[in-house]
This record gives sequence, C-alpha cells and structure tokens, in this order.
Amino acid sequence: MPNHIVIALLTVYTMLFAVSAQAASKLPETIKVDRAALTSEPMCDPKISPAWREAQEIEGVKIEASPGCSPDNPAWIAAAVKGTNHISMDTLMKTGLSPDAIIKTDDLDGDGDPDRIIIKLEIMELNGKSPDFPGIIPTFDIAPGIQPGAWVFAPKTSGMSTENFESVRANPLLRLPSPVIRVEVGDIVQIVLENTHYFPHSIHLHGVDHPFSHGEHGGQDGVPQTSEVELMPGGRRVYQFQPRQPGTMFYHCHVQTHTHLTMGLAGMIVIEENKPNNWLQTLNIGAGHVRHPSVAVREQFTQEYDLHYHAMDKELSDMVQKYNDPRLIARDMNQRYDITDATEDYYTLNGLSFPYTLRESLIVVEPDQKIKLRMLNSGGEMIAVHTHGHHATITHYDGVEHNPMAQIMRDVFDMAPAQRLDLKLETINDGKHSYGEGDWLIHDHREKGITTNGMAEGGSMSSIVYKSYLGEHGMPKVSHFGIDLSEFFTKEYYERRYPIWQDLDEWASLGSPAGQMGLDPATQTSLLNALYGLLIGLVIYFIFAKREGIKQSITATVSRLKSPKGSNE
Amino acid sequence: MAKTTLTFLLAGMLVVNGHAMAQEQDKQKDAHDHHDHSGHAATQNEHDHSGHDMDKHDHSGHSMSQQSGSAVDHAAEHGAAADHGHDHSIDHSQHDTQATEHGDLHHHHHMDHDHIMDHEGTMIMGQNLDKLPSSCKSISEEVEITVRAGRKYAAKFPGTAFAFDQQQWHVKPCAKVTWHFINEDDIRHQFMMHGLPKYLYKYGMFHLEVTGPKTVSGTIIVPGSDDTFLVHCDISHHMEKGMKAQLVVGKGGDDIPSIPGVTSYNINDTYQAENLPKASDKAEPNAVMRQITTFTNNNFRNYGMMAIGVLIGLICIPILRAIAFGRKGN
Repeated sequence: MPNHIVIALLTVYTMLFAVSAQAASKLPETIKVDRAALTSEPMCDPKISPAWREAQEIEGVKIEASPGCSPDNPAWIAAAVKGTNHISMDTLMKTGLSPDAIIKTDDLDGDGDPDRIIIKLEIMELNGKSPDFPGIIPTFDIAPGIQPGAWVFAPKTSGMSTENFESVRANPLLRLPSPVIRVEVGDIVQIVLENTHYFPHSIHLHGVDHPFSHGEHGGQDGVPQTSEVELMPGGRRVYQFQPRQPGTMFYHCHVQTHTHLTMGLAGMIVIEENKPNNWLQTLNIGAGHVRHPSVAVREQFTQEYDLHYHAMDKELSDMVQKYNDPRLIARDMNQRYDITDATEDYYTLNGLSFPYTLRESLIVVEPDQKIKLRMLNSGGEMIAVHTHGHHATITHYDGVEHNPMAQIMRDVFDMAPAQRLDLKLETINDGKHSYGEGDWLIHDHREKGITTNGMAEGGSMSSIVYKSYLGEHGMPKVSHFGIDLSEFFTKEYYERRYPIWQDLDEWASLGSPAGQMGLDPATQTSLLNALYGLLIGLVIYFIFAKREGIKQSITATVSRLKSPKGSNE
Repeated sequence: MAKTTLTFLLAGMLVVNGHAMAQEQDKQKDAHDHHDHSGHAATQNEHDHSGHDMDKHDHSGHSMSQQSGSAVDHAAEHGAAADHGHDHSIDHSQHDTQATEHGDLHHHHHMDHDHIMDHEGTMIMGQNLDKLPSSCKSISEEVEITVRAGRKYAAKFPGTAFAFDQQQWHVKPCAKVTWHFINEDDIRHQFMMHGLPKYLYKYGMFHLEVTGPKTVSGTIIVPGSDDTFLVHCDISHHMEKGMKAQLVVGKGGDDIPSIPGVTSYNINDTYQAENLPKASDKAEPNAVMRQITTFTNNNFRNYGMMAIGVLIGLICIPILRAIAFGRKGN
C-alpha cells in the first residue's frame, strides 16, 4: 500500500516537470482588451450646448465665439461683465450665481464703466469624504476617473453644491481652478471672502497693489503671521484695494500655504489698464479663453487666453478623502504631512489634465493672429512650457512689462512657482513665429508634467490648434492621421489597466500577455517543495512504522556481521 | 475601545437632545423673537456698505412685491418689534409674496410660486401655504419653529464644523409648519428639506437659503402619514461636517444617518491617541533636576519592584513547603 502512494507521488512529480518544460517552450498568448469593456466617455461632454460656442450678445455684452468643445456658459460672461446686479433674473438664473456675487456700481472717473467692484468668493471642497456613503462629494474629475480632493475659491453661488438632487457631480461653478479675477486700474475693489469651508483661510493678493492694512477692514495682506488672524469658518472678511499698476497677478490663501495652495486655493488676478467704457469680464470661471477681453487687450490682440498651470500632491488630496472629522484632516495636514518628502502627482492646466484639457483649454487660432497668453505657475516646482511649432515673445514678467527693445522670443518658457508670464503669440507663418497650420502641442517639458499620477499621456498638455485642424464638437481633428483619442477618455486608461500599444498593429504585438498556462513558476516551486516535504515525511513515517522490522533486520545484519567475527575469535 | 466610548457619547447626547427637543416651540419663539431683530440690525451695519446702498437704484425697477398691499403692511409692521411680523405675512399675504422678514421687499428680484429670491440671494423655494397633501383632510396644527444655524452650534459636537441649534423636530401629520431660519454666521447657510411629496413640492424639496446674519421664513404643510424628512445645508461639506437634522412627522419613519448627537455615522473615522505634550511633562524647574529625578524615580521603581518580588517569594516559601510536606504526609 505505501509503495503505491510513493509511486503515485513520483508520477505527479514527473508530470509537473513535463508541464513546466512545455510552458517554457511556448510563451503565453496576447490578450486584447475589448474596447467594449472600457468605460468610454464622449470626447466632448454632451451636457454643454453647442450654442454656447457661438459669438453672441447677452444683456448687451458682446461675447466672442469660442469654438472649443466646452466653452464658458455665455450667461456667466454676461453676469461677469455687467455684474449680477445689472442683469435680468432670467440671465441670473442661468448662471447659478448668487445675486450679490459680483456687484458693480459707481462710475467714479466718469469714463463709462463702473469703478466700484465687489466680488464675493466662497471656499468649496471638491471630492471630499462623506460619512453617509463610501464615495466622495461633490465630485470633480480632472481627467477620466481622476478625482483628487481639492479646495477652491468659488464665485458666490446660489442653491445646491451638486448639479441637482440626484447627482453627486459638482455644480459647474464649483471647480478647479479658482476663477480668474479681472479688475481695472483705479477701481475700488472689494474681494469679500465668505469662508464656507471648515478650515481657516485667507486671501493674499500676490503682486496686486494693495494696502497692508485698511482702516475699516483691518489687515489686508492675508498673512496670519504679519497682518491678520485666520478667517474662521462661518466668517467674512473684506479685502479692499485700488490698484495703481496693471499686470497679471496671483491670489492665494496664505494660511498653511504649503498645503492650502496645493489644494487649489490659488487663482490668477489680472489688473487691466484703465480705459474708457472698459466693462471687464470680472470673473473668468475655469480660466482659458477670455470671451470679453478688456479694451486694452482688444486694441493690441486678436484673442486672449488665461493659462493657469497648477500641480497637486495625491498624498495631500487623499487626506480629505480619508477622514470626515476636520480635526483628523487638520492633524494629518498640519502635523504629519512633510512637504519636503512630498511629490507632485497631478499637473493641471486650468484645473484639468489631458485629455480634458482638449475640451476646455485649446488655444484655437487662425493664421496671422496676435494672441495674448497670460500664464501663471501655481505649482510647487519650476515648469518649462514648450510651444510646438511656435516661438512666442515674452512681454511681461510678473505683471511688469519687459523693456520692449529687450523682449525675447522663446519656445520654452520657464516659470518659477508663483511666477507669471505674458506672452505674445503670433501665428505668422515665417518659420520663426509659426511653422504653419497644425494641431501643435503646448506642454510642460519636464516630462512628468505630461503625466497624471505618473501615467502618460496626461498632465497639463494641451494644443495650439489652427481652425483648419479643428474637428467636430471643437476637438482637434486627428482621425485623418489614423489617430484615435478615445482610449484617453476611459478611466481604465488612467487606472493603468489598458495596454496602450495593443492596437498599433493587427496582432497586438505589444498587447498584454495572458497569464502562465497551468501554474505560474512561484506556485510550481512551492508545490514541488510541498511534494518534497511529503516524501521526506513518508520516509520518516516508514522508518518509524517499520522500526521494529528495521531494528530486527539491523540486529540481524549486525549479528550476521558479528557472528563470523565471533567465530573467528 | 474607541468605538464603545463613541457609542456611549452618542447615547448620552441623544438623551440630552431629547430634553432639548421637549422644549415648547412657543416658548422658544418668544425668546428668540427679540434676538431676530438684533441679528437683523447687525446685518444693516455690517452688510450694507458692501453693496446694499450702492445698488439701490438698480433694483428700483423690480416692483414685483409692491403690487401686493399686504407685503407693504408687513414691511411696516416689521419695525414694530412687539408685533409678530411672520404671522401676519403668512396669514394675509398671498403665497407669492411671502417675505424674507427683512423689510427690503422692494428689492425682490425674483418671484414665482416655487422660487422667491431677493438681491442678496435670500431664497424661499417650494413653499406651500395652502395646498393640502392628499393624505390630509384638514390642517392638524399650525406651528412655528425657529431654527438657528451657525458654527457655534457645532461646539457641542466634537468633530463637526457647522450645525443647526437642534437636530430633530417633531410635528403632527398634516401640520402647517412655518420655519424661521436664522443664520447667525456671516456666510450662506441653507435649510433644505428633501423627500416631500413631489406633486406639491418641486423635486420634493423645501428650501430656505440666506447669508447671515439674517433670517428667512417659509411655510410647508407636512403629509398625513408618519415619516422622517432629511433637513440639511447643501453647501459643500456643511452636511458632512454637521449641519444635518431631521423632521419627524407623527411617529416618524426610518432615522436618517449621521445626524450629530441623534444617529450614528454610516462610515466612521478611526481615532487613535496622540502623543500630545502635557503640562505635567515639564513640571520640574530644570532639565538637570528632571534628569536626576527621572533617574532616581526609575531606580526606585526598579528596586521597589524587586523588593516586592522578594517579599512574595518569602511568603510563598512556607506555602509551597506546606503543600510539598502535605503531599509527602499523605
């Protein structure tokens, strides 16, 4: 009986050897991911009405055409230009703004535009934890399936924080980045911060001419170590200033800046030159194309774009998704997070990463245009923005005009953290300004800048697209090159579950290999070891069970050996 | 361990809250009425210079509310603190002229049956003054409930940031309830109720919204069956961080989760003790002294333990002996 077992085990052992030998002679098959298995999103968000792209006039406000896929809601622009106090209830209801979000009054210098500007900002959390269900709320995707916890300054809204009662998606006014603010030199501006968030915050007006302290409103620099105490949840603070100099500037929260800025409490603020009848688009929600540029910009340029580059750290963003208790979030952010050991994971342009940048942040141009690009880097590291096919001229550094005689043209624009550059992009096909029409990439040339949590293609990459290369729904036309961008509009791509080169040839030479036939090497080894163990065990058992017999036979042998010896003696 | 403590805490809060709930609504109303107006005065001071008086001329065109005589009456009455402004506005005014007890009715931007909003964003949505739910034959009771909202009400619930002054209200089925929502913060808050019958309330919602410090009032008629309705503030993370309550009609329905002090959270954070500095850590005057005392303390502790061990040993020897001898004896 035991002999049978031994034989059986030996047979299995040999068979295993045979199997592994066979597996080694032929590698696993390639498995192709069925596109139907992916969560495909439409490349252009169908929620946005195509009518929004057209040039139009609302409430007497001329709004330029914006042929990209997701242009700004024209009602937002009308409200931002006229003020929420000067538009009809009908238009206001289309914006979702609070009726006191932007109040414009008093033409103090008599030049035909209002000079008292009140802008009310709230602070909203995106993608934060809920104690009620295992998800996050209100959601904001920077790329398919990528929902980092974030905080933003948001224009004062009215009603719900989500699209509607059934949805967990954020109200479109609550989004990254914090809105671009535009005011005029000489305006008496009040930025009223209503802290709707559960942490203390402030506003620091980086580069904007503002008083250190105001008689009525107290400290104005936003710094809890120098000018004022933190603005607590539920509180309101007025930042009042009358800027004397124009320029592209920066505003951000200065409370625990090393975390709050990264979390998204940072935006661009533009001080425009004082011109007659200069009704400014006070807020450019979501940054990007300025569809109602200032008088000064219209005089010199064909188009204007606000490009806000930002970077976020996943480790930090995760904290608001890990805890609901504000004390625990505060502990992890303030006492446990070490920014000197931190790395940035999400690189965004105007709050979004590729491919969503294609929906909102395309720079749509035509030949022989002069385009003003205002760029801000609110990330924690230097960036190096490269324009394919174009050299642009740097006209302003940090809001101050560079000597026109000394202005230089470049195709890589390095920007330190908090730095602003104004560029003049000329689409003159002369081999220097432009190499001609195309769908030319504009991207951060630190290669991690084109990744999303390390997965390419992502990050702050966008395009300078000539109209002749603009396709259906305002997306770049690339299909005639055999390019299919739809794989980027799936969350599986950014979950790193999609073999990105599988469709480059018919037999998917760089697709995903199937698992090992039969057993994988590790299991094989451990199974063999188990078998060895069993064999050893059996041997020991035999010895033990037959010990009497063995003993006898040994004794017999010994005696047999001894006996001739004995006889010899 | 932490969980048990939490449960006990929650249970304790429930009891406390039960007491709070038992308070008579009328009593509250009287007590708070005076306060309403002081809050209102504060609004005038703090709020106005940021836009109130500046945009007066912009709104002169909006005369929606002036068409109603009762609204004007209400505005006049508002000044007389002795009178109860809300009662009158509800009883006399037509449904679409229900006011935001603020007096500035001529500023009203927007009014229709479902949605009333003024120039500061004070809003009443889904108000119902006279439409009886199909499950009701008549109105069972008319009650007025004052709800206060603000950061300070979160103080009694550790781990929250915003709260209502109460987390639970009880009314009879078919009650006509007028809510006086007092926002005591300097930001926006909402009193948003969900799950009401959709044939009477758009999206099943009743919604008051106001930037404080200010009050807004609105009325609903609750359905005739026992049920529990969610009340919350929908500003991002206000509900998650504590501003959540429930309206219990009759015996109520299923409890709503994660109402501070009333119901438990569906998803709980995990807590652990922190290594926090304590005053006792630095009671000794200087470092050298501390080191010496720590040294002696430690030595004393070690020798002490040793001495105790010896003592136990000494006591045990006779016992062990006795056992050993006893056995031998046997």
